[in-house]
Amino acid sequence: MTTIDFTHEIPVIEGKPAASSIDEMVSAPLNQKPGKVWKILFTITVTMLTVGSVALGLTFYYGIGLWGNNQPVGWGFDIVNFVFWVGIGHAGTLISAILFLLRQKWRTGIARFAEAMTIFAVMCAGLFPAIHTGRAWLDGYLFPYPNANHIWVNFISPLLWDVFAVSTYFTVSLIFWYIGLIPDLATLRDRATTKWKKISYSIFSLGWRHSARHWQHYEKAYVILAGFATPLVLSVHTIVSFDFAVSVIPGWHTTIFPPYFVAGAVFSGFAMVQNVLIFVRQAFKLQHIITLNTLEKMNQVMILTGSIVGYAYATEFFTAWYSGNQFEMFTFINRALGPYAWAYWTMISCNVIFPQLFWFKKIRRSILFMFIIGVFVNVGMWFERFVIIVTSLSRDYLPSSWHMYVPTVYDLAILMMSFGLFFTLTLLFVRTLPVVSIAEVKAHVDGAQPVHKGVH
Amino acid sequence: MDYIKKELPTKINKIGWILTLAGLLIVIISYLVDVQRTSYNNLIALIFFSGIAIGALILVALEYLAGAVWSTPMRRVSEFLASSLPFMIILAIPLFLNIHNLFQWAQPELVKNDLALQHKSAYLNVPFIAIRFGVIFLIFYSFYVIFVRNSRKQDTTKDQRLTKINLKFSAAFMPLGAILLTLFAIDWMMSLVPHWYSTIFGFYFITSTLLAGLAATTYVAVTLNEKGYLHPSIGEDHYYSYGALLFAMTNFWAYIAFSQFMLIWYANIPEETTWFLLRWTGSWKYLSVGMVLVRFAIPYVGLLSYNSKMNPKNLKRIAIFILFAHLFDTYWLIMPSYSPGIIFSFYEIGFPVLIVGVIILVFYAQAKKYNLVPIGDPKLQRGLDFHL
Amino acid sequence: MENKKIYTVTALFDTPDEITDAAKATAGAGYTKFDINTPYPVHGMEKAMKLKPSYLGYVTLFFGLSGAAFAMLFMSWVSIYNYPLVIGGKPFFSWPAFVPITFEVTVLSAAIGTVGVLIALMFRFPNTAHPLHDTNYMKKVSADKFGLNITSLDPLFDENKIKEFFKGLGGKEIETIYEEDKKAEIKVFDYRFIMTLVLVAIVTAGTTYFVLNKLLYMQPFTWMGEQDKVIAQSESNFYNDGFSMRLPVEGTVARGYLPYEYKGAPDSVIKFISNPLPFTKDIIEKGKMRFDTYCSPCHGYFGQSDSRLHDQFPKPPTLHSDKVRNWPDGNIYNVITNGQNVMPSYEKQISREDRWAIIHYVRVLQRSLNAKDSDIDTSQVKREK
Repeated sequence: MTTIDFTHEIPVIEGKPAASSIDEMVSAPLNQKPGKVWKILFTITVTMLTVGSVALGLTFYYGIGLWGNNQPVGWGFDIVNFVFWVGIGHAGTLISAILFLLRQKWRTGIARFAEAMTIFAVMCAGLFPAIHTGRAWLDGYLFPYPNANHIWVNFISPLLWDVFAVSTYFTVSLIFWYIGLIPDLATLRDRATTKWKKISYSIFSLGWRHSARHWQHYEKAYVILAGFATPLVLSVHTIVSFDFAVSVIPGWHTTIFPPYFVAGAVFSGFAMVQNVLIFVRQAFKLQHIITLNTLEKMNQVMILTGSIVGYAYATEFFTAWYSGNQFEMFTFINRALGPYAWAYWTMISCNVIFPQLFWFKKIRRSILFMFIIGVFVNVGMWFERFVIIVTSLSRDYLPSSWHMYVPTVYDLAILMMSFGLFFTLTLLFVRTLPVVSIAEVKAHVDGAQPVHKGVH
Repeated sequence: MDYIKKELPTKINKIGWILTLAGLLIVIISYLVDVQRTSYNNLIALIFFSGIAIGALILVALEYLAGAVWSTPMRRVSEFLASSLPFMIILAIPLFLNIHNLFQWAQPELVKNDLALQHKSAYLNVPFIAIRFGVIFLIFYSFYVIFVRNSRKQDTTKDQRLTKINLKFSAAFMPLGAILLTLFAIDWMMSLVPHWYSTIFGFYFITSTLLAGLAATTYVAVTLNEKGYLHPSIGEDHYYSYGALLFAMTNFWAYIAFSQFMLIWYANIPEETTWFLLRWTGSWKYLSVGMVLVRFAIPYVGLLSYNSKMNPKNLKRIAIFILFAHLFDTYWLIMPSYSPGIIFSFYEIGFPVLIVGVIILVFYAQAKKYNLVPIGDPKLQRGLDFHL
Repeated sequence: MENKKIYTVTALFDTPDEITDAAKATAGAGYTKFDINTPYPVHGMEKAMKLKPSYLGYVTLFFGLSGAAFAMLFMSWVSIYNYPLVIGGKPFFSWPAFVPITFEVTVLSAAIGTVGVLIALMFRFPNTAHPLHDTNYMKKVSADKFGLNITSLDPLFDENKIKEFFKGLGGKEIETIYEEDKKAEIKVFDYRFIMTLVLVAIVTAGTTYFVLNKLLYMQPFTWMGEQDKVIAQSESNFYNDGFSMRLPVEGTVARGYLPYEYKGAPDSVIKFISNPLPFTKDIIEKGKMRFDTYCSPCHGYFGQSDSRLHDQFPKPPTLHSDKVRNWPDGNIYNVITNGQNVMPSYEKQISREDRWAIIHYVRVLQRSLNAKDSDIDTSQVKREK
């Protein structure tokens, strides 16, 4: 094993590629015809999307009675999936905003891709509460506007906070992403060979001229947006956790939910980004930009957030006992030993136990292992939301109203549809826009910045 | 590395002694006059002090773990602040002697008539809390010894492996430290109102601790560097990093505190709201409102702009203010269990003076013995060259 | 070529160090209207170019504060004044519950405001017709070169001098760029533009109309609005009589309409029924209203049997007789409920509460016509000498 030299920074971009070669490499997939693998994958994802859409259409026609939701489990797959996808959407902003503010340069190669995944994940997430309302075509009433009925939305409902949080998050992520794209689109504009490409890149790059006078404000704007996106990313999953925590359902009402949900969100988001990046760097030969070091760092972030999640599980369990409150105690014993114990232990093993393997450097740097653990984490985090929602609702205060929850085929089809939507958008993205930020990568290649002279 | 050690003036040592002795005198008088009130103050002192010492230790570990370079030139400041860790024991001894004055769960006649307390007595009992305190202290102190010994060894050997060893230990330290601090918070603060519970409380305490350690380090590092005791390469960029971290942690604290308050306020369950209601009765109300200002709004405004984080004068002012806010917060957490309204007298002054005195004394002694800059650290040059 | 106006003179450099030095030199030579074009932001450039610090932070602060204030005030206005509703036992001004939305609106407003100002006001984008576009210079700086250009707006502008200056700095590919001959004029009355506007208007209006007036009334969108249930007063094919509404089962007593229990009971029982209503101003005023409606046609507005019916109906005796004045309340109640002599029962017309209110008012009338001296508040009266 090589020893690390602490006296020098490990370059984030390996091998000092020339600036023009970065342009070449990043724009290559945009100029080629799609390959076989891409076509096969695209067919699969579009099929998933279509089949799920049929289930969704049937849900619209017959109503949400088709789902497994019942009394008392009024929130089933729909909200589980919502929380899951919002969680996935947290990695992108964490990478592009928080790591940016923390000056973690390894984010350079993966920021663009992670941001795109954020946007797609939030789109998937937004779908679920919208269809959960039953009559999705009336969702406009969720927004406070002076409507004909002269009534307003309920501003103290956490469900309304969600509307604001998710739509704000989507908008700001989109702006952030687009701002980052402008210089790259300008570069692509100047490399465009066909008329239509040139016109469309010209329109979307708004006429960017790479001017230093612009760069100055641009960088300031980037810092400001990052500064806003950082509390925003915390607030979004915090507000999602409020949906549960402001209630009085045992297992839902616990004050640790906000930071615990945020950590869990970042955890699952990183797992998803890591999984997809493994394929992307292989497919587009970006190994020297999305380096093994970067993936290792991602895995380290996953141990950190996974540990916070584990800490939260332990705290909840301990406090349930410490509180002496019989309902709290029952809820947690029911989770671990009740009818949904299989889900609980799936969650514990996938979220807390398997990621511990990342303490070993060899596993952290093995593509195969990190991929498998990443998949586990995603499964585990999905089950975490399932455990929280279903176990607490199916057995609350009144034993006479207990009822088990079993999803129907429509629930599963709509879940599949969300995956289809997510990966379809991802596949379209890799063929239409630069998957890594050209300008940022150029700026982080060794020797791209002037040497500081006479500072000492 | 062209570091020439500059001795701290002996004046500092004198100030340290004066503060320590004056604080000690007040503390002894307080104990003679009113044991119960003084023990509550002693508890505040323990929490306040461990915030600074453990917070500084966490900063040291965080630097290794995150691979940060900008803070390396100032790491010794954190190490020296953490070196007063054993003082925790001295602060805790009178508490153990007076534990019946402090905690309801330590009074057998109360426990006898309370089912909830009987349920908790498996955890909340005097021997167990003493064991836990011992374990918490020992683990923190051993990590301190490991980090600091390796760091000092490096001054002469310049061995890069030592950094790597510290990195590994700091990885182990983080989860352990989080759990221990949570237990510490439950034992000494949450159990003051033994029926109350809040799962976020550990987070709350960890955040406060980190903020205290950071503020103390910032104040001392900036002051020393301004006077030329550290290194001329340390400048605005480093200050900015401290300022940005203080700003971020202040926001994070507000986030945690608000989450705790909002969830309890919203759900409105009687067994939880008592804790906040207690802090909303009588004059405590003003202190609770004051918390928003002192702990969040003022530091927030003070650190908002880009320049305010770089300006050493402003940074020092805000750092001291945040330390004061930490004391304020601790007082707010603990005192309502003792008194029905705000009380302030010489009882409340003795301990903070003593703590400041002790920290100065220990710092001076350490600074006399060791270099103020970790000259053997491989990351040092990078840290000095650090630019935004 | 000669007629064209010069826009700028450009030079290219290879490394970030060169361009930084060139920027310093250019700013040092007193040029102000010059620009650097680099494929990525080069650190320290704003210092080298002597640019003023970006004021974007203040823009953000302004939009952020406006967003926060708007959200907080708006929610408070809705919850306190416009449509106050008690929800979950929370006060109308539930500030902790307003914090999340206030925060989100702050971020949204700040982000959109900052980017809007940045792009529209600071960059003056979109602008795809800048003279630098489509030049060799732009293509190079877009990829890997570092460009420097001094525009003709600069007071020190002199094409040849600048070219010499650039050469001295080590610049390569020094070129002059001219402004475009004519800018694309925007013609408002171009028929294509107008047709586009018309088309957009038709499509927008049509879509809106279709969605709001057609789509939402199609199956399945109306399912919850149109339910298989019997609507009151409507025709029914189910029942033989064709009515959708049914009569209640015989003997059904509606809530709050228990039959009068003292029908035919002796006066002695009636004596013990007392007026359940308090003797307050509101009740008396209500009693007055009911009295004026139901009683005054025969009894007169003041109960003096000054009937308004002009002898079309027998006049009742006055209510101010000693007999009526000495009646207990229950007796009057009995008369209103059951009727007496020619007076019919008013049980169906006047609700129970209203009857009792009327009795209060009758008492007021009686008192007003039989005031005693002691009723006069002497302190208010001016004594006659």
